[in-house]
Amino acid sequence: MIEELRKKAEELLKNDTVKVVFGYGEGSVPERTRPVFITKPEDVNKLTWNKYCVYNLTTYLKRQETRKLGKPAIIVKGCDARTIIVLLKECQLKREDVYILGVTCDGVGDPLATKCKACDVHTPLIYDDLVGEKRENKEIPFEERYAELDDLEKLDEKEKWEFWQKQFSKCIKCYACSNMCPLCFCDRCIVEKNQPQWIDSSAHARGNLSWNVTRAYHLAGRCINCEECQRVCPVDIPLNLLNKKLAKEAEKNFDYRPGYSVDDELAMSTYKEEDSQEFFK
Amino acid sequence: MEKLLNKNKFDSLIAGLKEQGYKTVAPKKDNRLVTLEEIQDASEISLDHVITNNSIKEFFFPKTEKILSYTIDKNKVKMEEPKGFAVKSVIFGTRPCDAFSLPVMDKVFNWDCSDKFWVERREAITIVTVSCDKSDSYCFCTSVGLTPDAKQGSDVLLTKISNDEYLVETVTEKGKNLIKELDSVFSDPPSGTPKRQVATVKEKFDLKKIKPWLDENFEHDVWDDFSNKCIGCGACTFVCPTCHCFDIVDECTMTKGDRVKNWDGCQFSMFTMHTSGHNPRSTQGMRWRQRIMHKFKYYVEKFDSTLCVGCGRCSRVCPADMNISEMLELIDTEAGK
Amino acid sequence: MDNIYRPYLMTISDTTDEAPGVRTFRLNFSDEEEGKNFKFQTGQFGLYSVFGAGESTFCIASSPTREDYIECTFREAGRVTKALRELNIGDTIGFRGPYGNVFPIDKWEDKNLVFIAGGIALPPLRSVIWNCLDLRDRYKDVTIIYGAKTVDDLVYKHELKEWEARDDINLVTTVDPGGETPEWTGKVGFVPTVVEETAPDSNDTIAIVCGPPIMIKFTLPVLEKLGFKNDKVYTTLENRMKCGLGKCGRCNIGCTYVCKEGPVFTAEEISKMPDEF
Repeated sequence: MIEELRKKAEELLKNDTVKVVFGYGEGSVPERTRPVFITKPEDVNKLTWNKYCVYNLTTYLKRQETRKLGKPAIIVKGCDARTIIVLLKECQLKREDVYILGVTCDGVGDPLATKCKACDVHTPLIYDDLVGEKRENKEIPFEERYAELDDLEKLDEKEKWEFWQKQFSKCIKCYACSNMCPLCFCDRCIVEKNQPQWIDSSAHARGNLSWNVTRAYHLAGRCINCEECQRVCPVDIPLNLLNKKLAKEAEKNFDYRPGYSVDDELAMSTYKEEDSQEFFK
Repeated sequence: MEKLLNKNKFDSLIAGLKEQGYKTVAPKKDNRLVTLEEIQDASEISLDHVITNNSIKEFFFPKTEKILSYTIDKNKVKMEEPKGFAVKSVIFGTRPCDAFSLPVMDKVFNWDCSDKFWVERREAITIVTVSCDKSDSYCFCTSVGLTPDAKQGSDVLLTKISNDEYLVETVTEKGKNLIKELDSVFSDPPSGTPKRQVATVKEKFDLKKIKPWLDENFEHDVWDDFSNKCIGCGACTFVCPTCHCFDIVDECTMTKGDRVKNWDGCQFSMFTMHTSGHNPRSTQGMRWRQRIMHKFKYYVEKFDSTLCVGCGRCSRVCPADMNISEMLELIDTEAGK
Repeated sequence: MDNIYRPYLMTISDTTDEAPGVRTFRLNFSDEEEGKNFKFQTGQFGLYSVFGAGESTFCIASSPTREDYIECTFREAGRVTKALRELNIGDTIGFRGPYGNVFPIDKWEDKNLVFIAGGIALPPLRSVIWNCLDLRDRYKDVTIIYGAKTVDDLVYKHELKEWEARDDINLVTTVDPGGETPEWTGKVGFVPTVVEETAPDSNDTIAIVCGPPIMIKFTLPVLEKLGFKNDKVYTTLENRMKCGLGKCGRCNIGCTYVCKEGPVFTAEEISKMPDEF
């Protein structure tokens, strides 16, 4: 698989289809990879593929330092490809401005990442070229897809509040979560605005709660649960649970799962008469 | 002064500290991570890790703290000093790299004038360090002039000499006094020269080559090339025991408020942004350069000290695998050319 | 132990609208004792705060020779300056200072002085201009060249009239081409051009320049052409600041901390700094 990836990358660079390939390279330690940006065909040997290829490289589509390298080919797993669909639908990306090099993936992380346990996109849903054996994506039932929320949902309201208060108390406001998230692409994040200061920048209880909850709400109905936010959090806050819960609510209420098809209408910006109105009390 | 501490005396030690009025902070296992936090009982202590996830910094320079409080009544303002922030404590089980960060940071917090929030906490807290008997590939203390059993910054240093026993060495008067206060917990020093179980940390780069190269290479392709993958968050700066950049903000209601000092990071895109919209460090490469320059050149020039203790936390937590010792090895190689 | 972050409480005793969006506050120490003990030197700056909005950095725009008050001039640009503009005489603000280094005016005795400023950058120079004028007989010829985008944008209009009326100052004012009004009697042209026209003699002369980066960029070569050595040309730099005390790690240009080793620099010192401002 690695050879095929490298060959494809080399081709794309040699015939100038793209100016750079966003991929995975060897990391600091054997148990890590790192994002690499290959601009020269002779450097494609730096690309690798293994179970440590956890990153969602689509986040680099928003950063000026990597954008200025030119039109990219981006290596995406099934989950990452869903991000591209959302970015396309939200008009952050033009289809012709990115070459999607999909890879079939059997799961990343060691131990296996939580998100991979109920994956229904082993083969990416969008790509210009596919590396690896294409196979049918199995449908996974609703309950199984949200199984990681089971323990949390067993708690009552007071216990849930205490759980999250304890977790958020660890937050140091490093913003690794939003910086890593491909869908947190606002030029100026709400927490960076100070007239007025909507969200305290301080890492105290109020500042942490308002930040984490606001970010979760800004992702509700958009987040594709790549769980990068949880991976990068230096204090191990289970942000995946927060975002997964809101994703579950979005699916329950709007029958919507972001990033599955370029033909889908975005739940958060589309009105349908049959939308749930339970919140009107 | 040398003494001996047996693991079976940990209970008495922690109880003794409580009795003497100390708050005790020690490494505690929390899910996947080991964090330095307040403990009540010796059973909570975990010492078989390489390094705690958080550094000792937050006990002297918290992630957020009030530096002033005020009340507003029409156009009159009354100010109040924050009190009670310097709590008599013992930090038990920190590592030599963390302990060393304290005298390093003393220099900037006392440059020309002293920051009382730092100084008073320094006076109130006693550091009992445990030497490292193991390391991992991210550690590089020996490359910045330290060793896994270095004493600087500690009040007391514990070094493993057997599975259950630690050699206890007092480093400062404060440390000596602490041992005296808890005399019954410690036993007589071991006879002869006990074998100290200290990790080996290979030197990764020659620190002497770094500053001269930085002096000449403010402009260099490496700054952009290395930082392409950096996502510009604050993870590295916040977990670092020697990063001390901060922000000052006001938080208030109509009638009262606080002026607060918060951690800030030079990797954030808005760190140096002027109100006019001009940003002297507008690319990640410039910000990455600032980080390296500050730690290995500017702080050296100002305070004759490197602003890095080689703990490797920044590289461990980095979302994008930016590895600081890798950068320095690169500079070492370039310098050799 | 003293709290270095604790500000003085200041009462606004006077306000002047200098230009669109630009205002000067005259501030008195709410505590008279503090006011009596307060000393500063020209060139230094402070952090002025609105309790609840935050702190902002401006120079002290008055001279240490005028002891009963200090003044600051600011343009409404962000959160704190907006809050400052909403205050009135009698309101309380905070002031931390004096910070930074100073204009070495005793080294300039018996020399000619040329002050060059543009737009909102006259305030940092006004402190040193007043200081030198209050000690007028220590200096030889004094020239002031000041320009702004339009007539309206000129600050300290009242003082400009005062300086014009004095026969021991050569005042040259200018506005950018297109910024003049029918009543305007001063020059029309960008500051660097007017400096070249005025051609101050560089012999035994100190030049003090302050302005937006673009003005400095074009004025320094003019001064060089006129024979000014760059250790005889002074300017002030600004950078984003928070503590003003060298601790928050934000305002450095290379290894120079603007809050401690600045804001006053010679052109020679600036030429040695990396391009990071």
